[in-house]
This record gives sequence, structure tokens and C-alpha cells, in this order.
Amino acid sequence: MPRLGNLDDLAALCDALGSKREQSTRTVTMCAGTACRACGCLPVAEAVEAEIEKQGLCGEVLFRTTGCHGFCEQGPLAIIEPGNIFYAKLKVDDVEELVSQTLKENQVVERLLYTDPVSGEKVRTEDAIPFYASQTRVLLGDNTKLSPENIDEYLSLGGYTALAKTLTSTSPGDVVSTVQASGLRGRGGGGYSTGRKWEQCRQAPGEEHYVICNADEGDPGAYMDRCLLEGNPHAVIEGMAIGAYAIGARQGFVYVRKEYPLAVRHVEGAIEQAHEYGLLGDNILGTDFSFDVKVVHGGGAFVCGESTALMASLEGKVGEPRAKDVHTVEHGYLNQPTCLNNVETWANVPKIITNGAEWFAQKGTQNSKGTKIFALTGQVKNTGLVEVEMGASLREVIFDIGGGPQNGRAIKAVQTGGPSGGCLPESEFDLAVDFDELYEAGSMMGSGGMVVMDDSACMVDVAKYFLTFLQDESCGKCLTCRIGISRMLDIVTDVCEGCGTPEQLDLLEDLAWTVSVGSLCALGKTAANPVLSTLKYFREEYEAHIEQESCPAGVCPALIHYTIDEDTCNNCGLCAQNCPYEAISGDKESGYRINGEICTRCGICVESCNKKAIVKS
Amino acid sequence: MPEMVTLAIDEQEVEVEEGTNVLAAALGAGICIPNLCYLPGLKPTGACRVCIVEVEKNGRTKMTASCTLEAKDGMVIHAHSENVLRARRNIVELLVAEAPESEVLQVLAERIEVEDVRYPERDNDCILCGRCVTACAEIAATGAKGSIGRGMNRHIGLPFYNEEYCQKCYECRERCPMEIAPQSRRDPCGVCGSELSKNEDLIPEMCGDCELD
Repeated sequence: MPRLGNLDDLAALCDALGSKREQSTRTVTMCAGTACRACGCLPVAEAVEAEIEKQGLCGEVLFRTTGCHGFCEQGPLAIIEPGNIFYAKLKVDDVEELVSQTLKENQVVERLLYTDPVSGEKVRTEDAIPFYASQTRVLLGDNTKLSPENIDEYLSLGGYTALAKTLTSTSPGDVVSTVQASGLRGRGGGGYSTGRKWEQCRQAPGEEHYVICNADEGDPGAYMDRCLLEGNPHAVIEGMAIGAYAIGARQGFVYVRKEYPLAVRHVEGAIEQAHEYGLLGDNILGTDFSFDVKVVHGGGAFVCGESTALMASLEGKVGEPRAKDVHTVEHGYLNQPTCLNNVETWANVPKIITNGAEWFAQKGTQNSKGTKIFALTGQVKNTGLVEVEMGASLREVIFDIGGGPQNGRAIKAVQTGGPSGGCLPESEFDLAVDFDELYEAGSMMGSGGMVVMDDSACMVDVAKYFLTFLQDESCGKCLTCRIGISRMLDIVTDVCEGCGTPEQLDLLEDLAWTVSVGSLCALGKTAANPVLSTLKYFREEYEAHIEQESCPAGVCPALIHYTIDEDTCNNCGLCAQNCPYEAISGDKESGYRINGEICTRCGICVESCNKKAIVKS
Repeated sequence: MPEMVTLAIDEQEVEVEEGTNVLAAALGAGICIPNLCYLPGLKPTGACRVCIVEVEKNGRTKMTASCTLEAKDGMVIHAHSENVLRARRNIVELLVAEAPESEVLQVLAERIEVEDVRYPERDNDCILCGRCVTACAEIAATGAKGSIGRGMNRHIGLPFYNEEYCQKCYECRERCPMEIAPQSRRDPCGVCGSELSKNEDLIPEMCGDCELD
């Protein structure tokens, strides 16, 4: 690769790559993100490539594997242009037909099309799929257009021109002003103004300034940052370079979980390729600006996503937070001014520079601008990564994009913001996706996890799940987080087991308050949210566990009982044969009975019964 | 001459050198903020949360540990507001439930009027205040002791649990609140054993409102 000596070199290269891209009229794009890989997309991709060659289409068809498209549950998936044809759940056996029919004959293979679970109809194009149609895919859209392993693909879409524009015609102060005017707020969860953070860091005195990309995503079910880093690493690197120029940093770090091997590989590869073009390193594009990025692997501690703990870990110390009364923009990594932003925040920066602050500020609400990516998971028809404009309602995300509940059940709650977020009931679904609205309702935007639960979920059990997660992930440094979470978990466990008392609920509220006001870092300060929000919106479920010793959703094992309805039972004995604990005794003549003391409420008997004679109460 | 900053603690104007933490500023001015993990003159960790205070800024308040909070000009601190007293009692209640045998904790609980302990008792010898780690790092300058593990598995130990790293200076033991025998309650304030104020230069004035006699 030739080193790009100046702005003109880059413009010429981008133009050449861009027109080459436009010439290839026929393309097959397959998602090769982590989720699709788990669905077996790589053998399918290999087969498509081989089949294209076999059928003599090599020169005519461009084949590309990309990062995550978002519709993970439909993988392996392919988009064929022209026509925007969307094929879902592909298998190696489908490939021959795909190539011979669609690529050669321009015929759509009906059986490979996606079926909308809401209408039950086949959908021909990607754009027409309701899951995609209601989204605003500013960032995720690029994931479907480029191979993350080849910098030329990013350049062919005008990549790094935002950096070039910044370096050659904008002062650092103006870059900060632009970001500030755009209204961009930190996507990692805190929602602090990115422009203000940059300005504070730029003004802070220090021998060196640093920028850090926080890719230590760890919320259960959340994988937005992972997919951005896997699918479009150059956008993040370009954003960091622009930020570094603005605040006066020469060194940046990407702190990424080691459990994200593909993200690590792609971002390391991207840095190497950017170096070869001279887009990182000394005198970038012939200017005085020098900047380099180092990838640091996190060991998997959830708390290391907290900025001060992350910086301690970067320094080689134990990953523990410190009091944040002294801000990291003044005293961060190695005690120097440090600007830490989340992956999604950095990825937004080149877009803002290219399209202008006004373009960005037009999207969203009064105080939350732009778009936000959510990992929509749980009991909805469509799951995956979704990107919506700020201000979209939770209902739109859950019902229009997510397709509503599965199996005809009713949706009961949505958990936003990861383990530190809260559970909001269906009555609050008209709330907008907005930093402040979600916070006021007792939840938070967080980094973008969104877990939907239907009426089969017990909210006390949900609170217990998140407390268990947080108890394991608390660093244990401060008392309120370490002991407070463990005491909250003890109380919630008592409630789940039917031995809770009304006094314990008052204690739980008092304790939750203490943990939230008394803890040292954001992990502890927000650890009570799952408890406080479920107590606020689902208190009757706690009370049912305590007063009636019953779990309304039928989830908590200690409070449910299985019995065999003698009238329906045909004495076949399958339940007794299948019970792994030998809790069912009897014979074909006298019938069968479940011994409640041995029964573990595993439910295997219910599944094995053809007569539906086993009743849960 | 070091720069001086002036802040208000419980409506009392306090002037201290720049860089002083709020807890030291309060204790120095005779305002009693109960504390436990703090060792005067050494780097505060903010582990025990007992010294929690409320900081008022632009009409809004935020609660934080006073030992890790640097005093700034114009700062407004409430060390005995209703919220602070409630949080502090709840925190000490959690501590007592962890180590019910500790006399220091019992005295501290009595001092700040923790009426009852609403949690089942656990039987811990260590409450992970981290004073031993600070003492080892800063007084002994050995830096051998450290915390190991996360969350409920967190404990204090030597590298690889190897005793050879310890210099046997026992600076750690000197400062362990679980090892300190509280002195007689009839002693004047400042040495009540509750670790309210280990700064001997300041007794007895600083605990003027103490109800123990």
C-alpha cells in the first residue's frame, strides 16, 4: 500500500475505490458477524464464493462478507444487489440455487425469503422487512456495506475524509465546537455531553493527553459495541483520531474484552492497515499531527468498563474504581488528562464531521440527539441489533421492530440499561428512548441493552438474576456495593423462596437507597435499580410471594407445585419414567403421584405428558 | 505559602490548605465526622463509606465519602443532614451485621445511634476496610499486602499467599480496627475507640457534642 502523503492522495484514492465500487453492479453481501458465524455462515459463504466461480460469474459478481447486520436470529443471511433481495437462514444446500437462479437468471428463490412472523407473509427485499423498515441505521447501515478486514472498502465509502478535512481545515477548538453543537452525548450509559468532555480535557494542563475507546461492554445480552468494532473498526479509529486532534493527544487506546476475539482481530488489523496508508502514525497525511492507537485486552471484569477502573487496569494495576470527585479529563491515565468515550460515541464522530453538527442535531429529541443502537433480546418475535432515532418510543422498538410478543403471550416489562438499569412495565412503553426520560422513569439508557419479558417472567426472579450478576461483578472495594448487594440478594432470595416478610420489603427499600447514595462508583450507585424499579412497578408480585406464598408467574421453584390431575391422566406412566429425581411413584392400576418433597420443579414431567394432566399451581 | 481554600461544613466556615480532604478539614475544625477506614495523613481509599457527607452544588446535593473529596473554595458540605445521618446509620448497621463481635463497631454504632440491626448476623473477622493495605504501602513502604479476588470473594493477602513477602513490621496490625481495643467509654471524647477522631492533638474539643460520658 502506498503511504498517503497529503489530502489529495487520499481524495484520489477514495475516488478511485469509489468508482470501482460503483462499477460492480452485481453483489452478494453476507453477514459474517459473530452471531451469524455461530449460525454457520462461514461454510455457506465459502460455498457461495466457490459456486460463483464454478458457474463462471467471477468477473461479474462481487462477493463480500461483512460485520453484523443486526438481524442475528435470521442468520446466515445474504443480500443480493441489484434488487435488495434478502435471503434468510441459508444453508450450504441452498447455494447452488441462489447462484443459478438469482445471480444468473434474476429469479427470486421464494423459499429462501424471510417470512414476517407478524403477517405470515414472505418479504422480498431487505428494505421492506418491518424489522429494518422502522429503524434509522446511520451507524449499522455501514456495517452492511463494507468488509471490516479491508481498509479499501471503508475508503471507497469516503472513509477518513472526515479526518482529512479536520486536519487540514479545522482548528482543534472548532472540532470541539462542532461536536458540542451536535449535541452528541456519551453512548456508554452516562450520557455526558461529548463536546463538553472534550473541551474539559483539551483545557486541562498535562504533559500528555490521551484518548481511550471503551470497548469493555459487559451487560448481559448487549453486544452493540462488539458489532460496531467487528463490523466497522475504521469508523472508531477515525473518530478517535479526530478526537485526539481536538484535545491534543498523540496516543490512544482501545480497551477491548478478550472475549471478543473477532473484534480484537478486526481492530488490530484495521490499525495495521491504517498505518500502512499513513492514516495513523507520524505526520498523518503530511500534517504535523501524529497519532497512534494501541489495543489493550481486558480480562473480562465487568467493573473495568467503569472509566477509573479501566484506566487503573490500563496502567497494569488492579481494575478497581476510585472516587471520581477528581475527573479523568483532568487526571486520568497515568494521572494525565484523558478523554474516554464508548465505541458508539467514537463511531458517531466521523459522521458528525462529514455531515455537520446540524445534520446530527436534527435527529432525536431536545436533549438526546442522533440515533442509538440497542440489543433487542428476550421474548419478542424479532431479536437483534436495532438502531433508532432518539425519541422513538419503547413501544415502537418492541412492537414495530421487535414484532411484539411470541406465542400469543402478553409483554409485561422491558429491562433497559443492563444490570444497572431498571424494569419498566407495559404502561410506560410510550416513554421515549431518551437519556432523561428513561432516567426519570427509574431506568436508564445504559449502553443499550433491551431485554423484553412476557408474562412468563417473575419480576422478583428478574431482580434476583441481576443482583446475582452484580454480586459477582462488584469489585468489592466499597462496603455499600459489596455488602449492600449481597444483603439485597439475601432478601430477594428469601422472597423468592416464600420466607420473606413485609418488614423485609421496607428494609429492602431502605437498603437499596443506601447502596445507591453510598457507593463509590457507578456500578454500586446503580446496582439498586433492578430492585427499586421492580418494587416501584411490580410491588404486587413481591407481596404475592410474601403474603400468599405464591409466585404469580409460576417461576420460583419453592412456590410452585406440580400435581397430577386424576381425571385427565390415563396412567401411561411416562412422567414417572422421565422424572430424573424419581419423585413420581405409582403404577398403571392405581395411578401416579408426585412427591412434593423430592420434586425439584424441573418441569420435565409436564413436557413428557401427552395428556397435559400435570398441573402447575 | 500554600494556597488556602475556604469551605462551609455544617454552616461553619473552614479554611484549609489546598489539597486537604473534606474529612480532615472537618476534623481539624472540630466538626466530628465519624470515619473508619481513614488514616490521617495517608492516601484515603473511600472503602468503608462511614464518613459520607452531602455536597451542595447549584441547589442540588450529592452524597459522597468525605475522605476522598478534596476541599474546594466555596464548597458547601452537610455532614449531619437528615439524609447523611440515615445513610451513615444504615452503613454502620451493615458493618455491625458483618462483624457483630467487633467492639469498635459496636461503639461506633452506639455513638451514631444505630438502634437495631435488621440483618442476620455474619461472623467475619475482617470488614475489608483496607487500612492494613494502606499501612503496608505507605507506612511500612513494603506494599506487600493487597486485596485479592472480587466481590464477596475479596480478601486481603500477600502475593501468592507467600509469607516471605511480609517484613513482620506489624504496622498493619497496629491500624486494624478489628484489633484495636476500644478504650473505656468514660474517657473523654476523641478516644472513644470509635475511630471518630484518632488525631490526639485535637481532643477533647472536637467531640464536644458527644453524648457518651
